[in-house]
Amino acid sequence: METIKEEKGRFDEWKLSARVFFANRTAVAGLVIFLLFVGDAIIVEVAPGLVGVQYPESVVPPLFSLTHPECVNQAPEPPSLAHPFGTTQYGVPGEGCLDVLQLVMKAIRIDLAISLFIVLVGAAIGTVIGVVSAYIGGLLDEGMMRVTDVFFSVPFLILALALGFVLGRTVLNMAYALIIIWWPLYARYGRSLTLSTKEATYVEAAKAAGSGRLKIMFKHIFPNVVPPVLVQISLDVGTVVGIFATLAFIGFLPSNALVPELGALANIGLNLAPLGYWWTVIVPGGAITMFSLAVNLMGDGLRDVIDPRRRS
Amino acid sequence: MKLWVYVLRRLILLVPTLIGLTLLVFALEHAGGPSVFLALYINPHLTGSARQQLVDRLTARFHLNDPIYVQYFYWLGAILQGDWGTSAQNGQAVTTNFVWFMPNTIMLTVVASLLTWVISIPIGVYSATRRDSVLDQGVRVATFTLYSMPIFLIGFALFLTFGTSWHLLPAQGNIDDNLLPTLSSKSWFDSNAVSYPTHIYLIDALLHGDVPIAWNAFLHVILPAVSLTLALLAGIIRILRVSMLEVLDQDYIRLARAKGVPERTVNNFHAKKNALLPTVTTFGYLVSGLFGGAVVIEEIFGFKGIGWWTTEAFLNSDIAVVMGSTLVFGIVLVLTTLVLDILYGFLDPRIRYE
Repeated sequence: METIKEEKGRFDEWKLSARVFFANRTAVAGLVIFLLFVGDAIIVEVAPGLVGVQYPESVVPPLFSLTHPECVNQAPEPPSLAHPFGTTQYGVPGEGCLDVLQLVMKAIRIDLAISLFIVLVGAAIGTVIGVVSAYIGGLLDEGMMRVTDVFFSVPFLILALALGFVLGRTVLNMAYALIIIWWPLYARYGRSLTLSTKEATYVEAAKAAGSGRLKIMFKHIFPNVVPPVLVQISLDVGTVVGIFATLAFIGFLPSNALVPELGALANIGLNLAPLGYWWTVIVPGGAITMFSLAVNLMGDGLRDVIDPRRRS
Repeated sequence: MKLWVYVLRRLILLVPTLIGLTLLVFALEHAGGPSVFLALYINPHLTGSARQQLVDRLTARFHLNDPIYVQYFYWLGAILQGDWGTSAQNGQAVTTNFVWFMPNTIMLTVVASLLTWVISIPIGVYSATRRDSVLDQGVRVATFTLYSMPIFLIGFALFLTFGTSWHLLPAQGNIDDNLLPTLSSKSWFDSNAVSYPTHIYLIDALLHGDVPIAWNAFLHVILPAVSLTLALLAGIIRILRVSMLEVLDQDYIRLARAKGVPERTVNNFHAKKNALLPTVTTFGYLVSGLFGGAVVIEEIFGFKGIGWWTTEAFLNSDIAVVMGSTLVFGIVLVLTTLVLDILYGFLDPRIRYE
């Protein structure tokens, strides 16, 4: 009898949360755009041919200048019906006719995967460290705070450059560098969330009932820490895409890396845009903005769901 | 807690952070092994036996054959004595490069932060006091969009429109290239195209009464400074607006209204001051964002500050400058945060008791 009642209570809570979220029109718009991006990533991963994407791993198809000699040194074409976002050109011989829309579609898959990887790994490491150190407290907690202080003491873009320098200039190393920068944020967040639930009566009750430290941490504290952390994750995915692309834009990836990544695509257009081919930079940049905007709108809606005080 | 106790506590907390910062940079420098570390201190143009002699001397000096923790103290000793290695790009000492390039970045960030505050305070306050009006909605949409734009897009869009398309403002370098020959003939310039005494063209030209050069240098500051401002503006406006909304919901505001204080006085006198107070802490966020943003913006506009120099160093495998910059930016950020915290404790006594 008790269990049935509890299950029903949970169901209603979900329904209420969904209603609060869907009442927020901008949040729904954000969700729709976000799903479009995710859909694109999935299609390019599973069936790239379906949307006309070839070689999703590379900016230029292999032996492109041999198979398409007419495209060598072809100037970028402005947006048209055949190429809605125009075309761009890559490399020193100038392999042209590269459709910007296709490149962006390829890039969304890689950007999405990498930023999810960075934020999820960073959040997992950081939250666990934060919860444990706040729960145990004392010297461990003090030491952890000082360690995070050190990571916050260098502007993150510069720290990312220094880390990338040591690790080497590849996409994966760039992701590792950003994870190293990102976990302290979650350690602090997880810590503050734990401190506020640590003193709750039900935790004391669990202690009195003889639960061990591990059980209290995972059964009673984690469930209270995870939902706000998930909202933070959803917001950070948008931020990380921008930072990742910014690093790629200033040349983090070597120019022969050929990775279709939004910032790297913008970097390809760096010397073309001043000649009047503005779409080679603005379109990839616009895609990042759209994605960040969608995620921010969605995250704002999610925050309203979790924190009833913010509902207005 | 007395103010001086609070200041003392903050100063003591500074010590572990600074030690941690040096440990971090030391670890990064040594991660590649002794040969990568030695490259910091050796001028790459040096070859043959002279190079070998230098390698031997440096190995002995930094005790590279000793345990790593011993090496740390010798390394720290060198840093404290101002020996930060040699730049592979221009063969000058890293510290010399900082003296050359840092002032330009400081000017750029100071101008951008002043602009950010001057613009964001009235907009944030105005938007909050007229909550949900058309203007408030407009501000929210604009800040949300701006906030979502990666910093390189903001900078590059200004570069393209005002710089290369409309030619309204210069968008490359600190000064027009065709002025450089004139400059090198001036007494306050040296052969490296470095101006004296402040190393900022704009200020040095003004000090020496050379108005045309100062005007040209000023025009070159506008686009980078505005880009940096736009990149930070949205975040600050959002924080200010929320802070102001929270204050407007307090009982003492309701009391002020109830006893008939005019709305304008309530906003400007009762609410604004209290709303601005917590935003002092966002200065830290602002400074961190300014330095990170300066790297990108300076690179786009070829504005020769420390951010541009760091990016060039990164792209040209100049490890001494990359590591030196990390340390310098870290120290500057830590010290700025310290000053802001003390200022905050001074402005708001409540904070000292937390």
